[in-house]
Amino acid sequence: MRLTQNSIAGLICLALSIGMLVLTRGLPQSSFVPVGPDFYPRIVLVIMAVLSVLLIVIDLRQQAQGTEAPAAATPEKRNYRLVGVTYAIFTGYVILLPLVGYRAATVLFVAALQAVFESPRGARRWAMVLVSALASSFVTYVVFNDYLSVLLPRGHWTGW
Amino acid sequence: MRIIAAALAGFALCAAANVQAAYPDRPIKMIVPWAAGGDTDNIFRPFVPPFQKALGGATVVIANVGGASGTVGAREAKSSPPDGYTLYAVHDYIHSTYYTGVADVNYWDFEPVCLIASTPSILTASPKTKWSTVKDMVADAKAHPGQISVGATLGSTSHFFPALVEKAAGVKFKYISYDGLAQRMNAILGGHIDLTDGNLTQKGKVDAGQLKFLASATEKRMEELPNVPTLKELGYNVVYAVSRGLLAPKGTPNEILTKLEGACHQASQDPAFAASMKSQGTDVHYLDRKGYAEFLKKNDVLNKDLSRELGILKR
Amino acid sequence: MYELLLGGVENILHLHFLVPLFLGTLVGLIGGALPGVTITMTIIIVLPFTFGMDPLQGLATMTGVYVGGSAGGAITAALIGIPGTPSAITTTFDGYPMVQKGQPGRAVWLGIWSSFLGGLLAGVFLIGATGPLASIALEFGPWEYFSLFVFALSMVAGLTEGSLVKGLLSGAIGLAITIVGSDPIMSVPRFTLGTEFLRNGFPFLPVLIGIFAFAQLMTDIEKMGPADHGAAPLKAPPLTVSHLKVIWEILSRPFLLVWSTLVGILIGVLPAIGGSAATVMAYDQAKKFSKTPERFGKGNPEGIIASEASCNANVGGSLVTIMAFGIPGDAVTAVMLGAMTIHGIQSGPLFVSQHPDIAYGIYAAYLVAHPLMVLICALGARLFLRVVTVPKSILIPNVMVLCVIGAYALGNIMDDVVVLLLFGFIGYALVKFRFPLAPLILGLILGDQIEVNLLRSIMSDPNPWLFITRPISGSLLGLSVASVVFALWQHHRHKGRITEVEDPDF
Repeated sequence: MRLTQNSIAGLICLALSIGMLVLTRGLPQSSFVPVGPDFYPRIVLVIMAVLSVLLIVIDLRQQAQGTEAPAAATPEKRNYRLVGVTYAIFTGYVILLPLVGYRAATVLFVAALQAVFESPRGARRWAMVLVSALASSFVTYVVFNDYLSVLLPRGHWTGW
Repeated sequence: MRIIAAALAGFALCAAANVQAAYPDRPIKMIVPWAAGGDTDNIFRPFVPPFQKALGGATVVIANVGGASGTVGAREAKSSPPDGYTLYAVHDYIHSTYYTGVADVNYWDFEPVCLIASTPSILTASPKTKWSTVKDMVADAKAHPGQISVGATLGSTSHFFPALVEKAAGVKFKYISYDGLAQRMNAILGGHIDLTDGNLTQKGKVDAGQLKFLASATEKRMEELPNVPTLKELGYNVVYAVSRGLLAPKGTPNEILTKLEGACHQASQDPAFAASMKSQGTDVHYLDRKGYAEFLKKNDVLNKDLSRELGILKR
Repeated sequence: MYELLLGGVENILHLHFLVPLFLGTLVGLIGGALPGVTITMTIIIVLPFTFGMDPLQGLATMTGVYVGGSAGGAITAALIGIPGTPSAITTTFDGYPMVQKGQPGRAVWLGIWSSFLGGLLAGVFLIGATGPLASIALEFGPWEYFSLFVFALSMVAGLTEGSLVKGLLSGAIGLAITIVGSDPIMSVPRFTLGTEFLRNGFPFLPVLIGIFAFAQLMTDIEKMGPADHGAAPLKAPPLTVSHLKVIWEILSRPFLLVWSTLVGILIGVLPAIGGSAATVMAYDQAKKFSKTPERFGKGNPEGIIASEASCNANVGGSLVTIMAFGIPGDAVTAVMLGAMTIHGIQSGPLFVSQHPDIAYGIYAAYLVAHPLMVLICALGARLFLRVVTVPKSILIPNVMVLCVIGAYALGNIMDDVVVLLLFGFIGYALVKFRFPLAPLILGLILGDQIEVNLLRSIMSDPNPWLFITRPISGSLLGLSVASVVFALWQHHRHKGRITEVEDPDF
């Protein structure tokens, strides 16, 4: 019997709920509240664990009966590499934001992501990418920081 | 390519301009550790326009850093650079959350700037109760110990005020957690709690017979409420108000603090600010850096003692 | 009373009030339409501008923002499939598929006209029914609230596409996210693993933006082939549509329109629930009453009508509650209530009789904002269209930047951006495991409130039977059970009829 998507999801949720249940031990009680801060989380986590088990059981039973809904055929090729690269660039953006400040980080982020999407060739295309990144950063900064009073992060390294 | 060069030059100019200039040359962030539209937010928002004017037209932006009983904002304020571009709007919770173990931050992590306002507490009862005076309430509480329900943010000012009454009258209440005045008013209007800490903003509901003001926690009767006795004249020595002021991160340069203090003083005399405070049942109460530092010190001892008496002292 | 209302409308139509109202509606529409900029954020941004105005001017501006924002969310929801505001989530379910089918004009205008009709219907209805409705809401104690929230959550089980267990589990995950961080009563840190970062828990907005935006954007990205890296710009689809036909499409379903409006009003009047719950509930109701529930999620006009009518009706409900009782229904009305207090207006039962000019002025502003909103949409339709014609390679990075600003802006702290990133991963993973997102979001919205009201009930009276013996609470819990049973039955029936491979995407 192989692990299907639902069983894996169920196992992950079960592990999470049990792990969190362990963490509810030893929370301090208060003299003003008849039940502790662990009371409600335990209810939620037990429900979550039960539902996870239920999901696994139903999944296994369907497999045994062979009534499992046919796995969705993948009609088109999914570009998971691109998804991974996007996440990596976005993570880099979030790390850089407090270090080099909003303006610089945003130029780098927009340019990098756009370059990955378009794979520009030639100086002209690269210039377009750079201009659009500069414009994004500049316009959003002026609109939000100067007009809308959202004080966007300034860089710890650059002070800017 | 020319556009890029121009844009880069523009960025470079902005950067250069920031290096040396008279304070304040960019927007100042004022951290309010509760949601927009809350009591504290309502006090500081009308304070900002005259404060900006007094600072020579600088921009002051309120950042509502809510969450975890106001302690997220406290942590953010503490870790901000002490350059005068971050201010921190507080009330007495800064002491109580420290002693009840909710926060690791207390007033000594900051430089006092000024105290601006204080809001006297009024003991407020639900219309579904039979009481019309404090005496009725105390008699009822003595007959049914632990049965009178009080709505409060546990471990904060709305908890401390009824606890003082509890102590002065020698009775025992039952506390139910309701965060913020708006939620407490909702519950007391529906009769889901009997008693709570209110203030003059609720006068409209009292006039409509939806709420009862039992007594105010002021030294003298409030001029807007000539018929409401003070707790003091009824023989319960309880005077309580929520005081709100400004702090800056520890290490903020002296000349910047002096400038802020001056602006604060000027802003506190603004008639529009005074009118706004009056409509919120709040007294404008300015204290300078030195005065506010002493106030904080005194208040801290008081809050520590109170927490101990309530049995919620954690340090 | 209607004389007063007429007087109020006449008053509002003066340029002195009309200009702020118009600007407020415009800003609201833009703020509502921008993903990652919520109505809450828009109204906070507008708030400082209102201090310099007289009270009615300021309140008219904010009413415009609220009305415009609630409608504006629909535009982005339909055109790019990301809710511009949280309450437009359900509009993405059917609006986006309809756009993909090549009917962008129909999708957008169905949303706008439904907002218009639902909003107006709510306004007219509520001006008469303010008192009784609000007094019902006031009778709700912690037990009733707890049961109401449980009921709302159980209803969403019916929204789920695949298995009921998975829908419920998704709701439970939403609840589990809210238990991380300081506990709501004594602020005891829970599940923080000793870190300061987790002490604040996971704030609702960054989580919501992260889950929704990334689930959507990444699904778009994975479909980008190596060849067409966003190179081909979309052909500008015409937004022009026969307005009479669209309006007829809505009016020919009077029951749906009225019922969705009622759901919106009811949720609006009840404090602390908010617009997202209203649209989710109305959508669910529409699906349950529909003769063709299987067509929901595939571009069914009924889904758009239910969602948008209830969304704007919710605005009407919230407005009346803050005016009559001074109780905010959500973060937006909390800010408006704050603005009233700053202008020295005591909200409460005496408000309408003491300040009839302002009270009826607000009603009038609410009513007038609706035609203004339609007018602005008609004039700006071409502009909104640009959103879809921008190549994805430019659109996606910029939407991500806006998401970051949106997460950052409410608190101005970087921690919220880190939460956004974290839930960006989780959101995509949930989609890959085919978890329905709606129950999770409702769990997120209601989690804290469920806990707080449960604990309040226990603190008020330790007797657990009160949840069942108090009539309103008991019936709500009964309805919750019925709702799950009904969903089970419907799933069973559904399974017997058709076995269809569900699209893994939204």
